[in-house]
Amino acid sequence: MAAATLNLLSIRASSSSSPSSCTNYSSRITPHISFYSQLSRSTTFPSLSFKLPNNSNRHSAFIIVSAVKKLSELEPITVPSKPDDFSDELPSDSGVYAVYDNNNDIQFIGVSRSIAASVLSHRKSVPELCSSVKVGVVDEPDRTTLTQAWKSWMEEHIAVTGKIPPGNESGNGIWVNRAPRKKPDIRLTPGRNVQLTVPLAELIDRLVKENKVVAFIKGSRSAPLCGFSQKVVGILDSQGVDYESVDVLDEEHNLGLRETLKNYSNWPTFPQIFVNGELIGGCDILVSMQEQGELASLLKK
Amino acid sequence: MASRGASILGSRASRIKTKLQSVLEASILEVTDVSSEHAGHAAVKDNLNETHFNVKIVSPKFDGQSLVKRHRMVYDLLGEELESGLHALSIVAKTPQEAGKNL
Repeated sequence: MAAATLNLLSIRASSSSSPSSCTNYSSRITPHISFYSQLSRSTTFPSLSFKLPNNSNRHSAFIIVSAVKKLSELEPITVPSKPDDFSDELPSDSGVYAVYDNNNDIQFIGVSRSIAASVLSHRKSVPELCSSVKVGVVDEPDRTTLTQAWKSWMEEHIAVTGKIPPGNESGNGIWVNRAPRKKPDIRLTPGRNVQLTVPLAELIDRLVKENKVVAFIKGSRSAPLCGFSQKVVGILDSQGVDYESVDVLDEEHNLGLRETLKNYSNWPTFPQIFVNGELIGGCDILVSMQEQGELASLLKK
Repeated sequence: MASRGASILGSRASRIKTKLQSVLEASILEVTDVSSEHAGHAAVKDNLNETHFNVKIVSPKFDGQSLVKRHRMVYDLLGEELESGLHALSIVAKTPQEAGKNL
């Protein structure tokens, strides 16, 4: 998927100048044939239809390079509502897929090593945008062929609508980062220079009482800086529980938190995990509770 | 702090043992220095020795106490150590009955 994001820049660059002028320019080798020069720098497009300046009909060029049918030639498949149905109704092969919303507008065009799994993950993260899907299985799914198939669909879509699918726009993370995005860590203060009107202990108190699960960890939840904190994040993630995290090492936004929290909780080390406003302990206890099966029931309460 | 840290080098484990043993009447007490596993750790830059320990303790005094309370009992006994550079403890705290089940 990273490739798709990267190369989007190239597509965007090209869409500002019309494709035909792009072809003309390439024969003159002017410096701003941004499309071709950018692509040649990007290793994922070793060969391209745009290398064929003689071909005046760009659509026929796509057919030559593409391993899949054109989008317009494919029938949409309704996205199954049950996860179990995905592998029956969608291919688990490599290929490209285009996700349509219920207005029949393309939301995202993706490349995948398992189309069914990818569409399922989209369906989970953005169900409202996944109504139907067109799929193109690539028989010899080397990276180049896959990328070209993806590109041919992108270009076809852009040629028809003049737009990039919203999910493929750079900065749109909902489709490309298919792993659920980590929540940001909570910051107790706006910054170390801001005078607090409320004592830090009270902020801690409110935080742990207003949130079901709060983990005070070293480092951020996306990059814990201590093995114990990492374990805690891993366990909470694996429980599928919605939790808040606070980085006790963040001296800019949580200045003084370590000492204040130690006193607040009467617990001298980190990480510390609070559930329903109460300290349940550190890493060892969390691990132990998970092993005993107590954690899941506690988190359900 | 640095000079004190040097003078107590190598003795923290035994002090931890003594402190826990005397109050908790432990039937099993294992204290392992695992500081080297945490060398280079973001928060222990200035205190590289005797910062991380594994403690396994079986005590009748844990009977009827939650895990949080058991860990607190251990931490409370080690307050001085925590203030003098002990950074983290991994604690396994069991009652004799619980330990018997798992042995």
